[in-house]
Amino acid sequence: MKYALFLGCLISAREPSYELYARRVLPHFGVELVDMPETTCCAPFSIQSLDYIGWLSIAARNLAIAEEMGLPVLAFCNDCYESLLMTSIILRDDPELQGKVNDVLSEVGKEYKGKVEVRHLLEVLHQDIGKKKIKDAVQRPLTQLKAATQIGCHAVRPKMIHPTLAVGLETLDELVTALGAETVDYEKKQVCCGGPLRGVNDEISRQMTRQKLQGMKRAGANCVVTVCPFCFIQFDLGQLEIKRALGEEYNLPVFHLVELLSLASGLEINDWKMRDHRTPIDPIYEKIKGS
Amino acid sequence: MSAVDPNFMHEVANTPRGEGVLTCIQCGRCTSSCPVARFLDEHNPRRLMEMIILGFRPEVLHKLPWYCLSCFTCLDRCPQRGDVGEVVFAIRSLAAREGDIPDGVWEQAKNLLDTGRLIPTTGFMHRQRENLGLPEISTSAKDAETIMKRVGFDKMILKARTRKSEVTE
Repeated sequence: MKYALFLGCLISAREPSYELYARRVLPHFGVELVDMPETTCCAPFSIQSLDYIGWLSIAARNLAIAEEMGLPVLAFCNDCYESLLMTSIILRDDPELQGKVNDVLSEVGKEYKGKVEVRHLLEVLHQDIGKKKIKDAVQRPLTQLKAATQIGCHAVRPKMIHPTLAVGLETLDELVTALGAETVDYEKKQVCCGGPLRGVNDEISRQMTRQKLQGMKRAGANCVVTVCPFCFIQFDLGQLEIKRALGEEYNLPVFHLVELLSLASGLEINDWKMRDHRTPIDPIYEKIKGS
Repeated sequence: MSAVDPNFMHEVANTPRGEGVLTCIQCGRCTSSCPVARFLDEHNPRRLMEMIILGFRPEVLHKLPWYCLSCFTCLDRCPQRGDVGEVVFAIRSLAAREGDIPDGVWEQAKNLLDTGRLIPTTGFMHRQRENLGLPEISTSAKDAETIMKRVGFDKMILKARTRKSEVTE
């Protein structure tokens, strides 16, 4: 299983723990990651909002790089995944538009022929590797965890562009359960984290996160698990912001799925304080290590 | 309230991602599934579509399009493929061409144009990456700039900023 890794801006700039543990743990499951050279931003929904051809051209340029490498693209970030997948589908269905985009790309010496498959980390874990292999590799079952999962909208919606991942929300729950953890159903589980409203309306952005945190707490969760780097920030940094703005504490450590996969597979998370987590993970981490 | 623009619905429908507005039957499933609508009366996807259909152009373009999360819940619920979550992209791009871009989005667009990334990396982060044994980030700022200039993106965001400073001055 060899993939062209599309890392994206957010993970590489802000969430080294996601990247580090993905790079460490995936090879244990036979996944080979080849870094894509000279990429650009994926052009997520903010850029898509401004210019259609600009979006498609930026995304298609990235796809063309993977095409030259002869590999499927693997995205860790939900928004990268959505932008690249949506572009590949739109261009596949509209050769005239593909021609227009390639006309733009000719200025940078690229051409997208329309042959690239776009995968999300979740798909690779759930379908290419599979729950059974993951379960079999567990050396340290995460039985202390009662996890509230947050899959992130763009991994599963809109359904029309996700033919293979249409299984939906349970994909992440099944993977977390395979690691020996319990997952909880909570109110508003399917709802967006509120992150996209950051900077547009911070108050509502916070309220959306808050309602989800409340649901998680009521359901008895002791941590949050996500695959989306935007959701991660919204819950991790978001808990601090909610504490400041509203005086409410939730104390729910937030994990990247790859961190839990690493822990369960026997790897250690060292020096996590230097990395992504603003809401401390020690209470849970100590439990896991102690068990 | 300004005079209605009878062509507005077709203007939106002829803008990329806007065609769904023609099939909207005003059933309101989008609003009932919209997580923002619960918190904010101003953001009502069904009403947004109605206002487009009825031709309330300036009200739609300059007040309403930026509250959508792009969570795409409405796309999965719409019985008509009216897809207001897609139509939002069309009206945003029309607003952007008239210089109306929220600050947060403008910053991201400018970062893309200048650095090829939405979130630039700092010197500290480069050093931390090195300490962690992570590979150097390889970005082509030049290609991003060439592509975005080719589609007129640079002029669009310049215009938006100019307009904004005119308004605030």
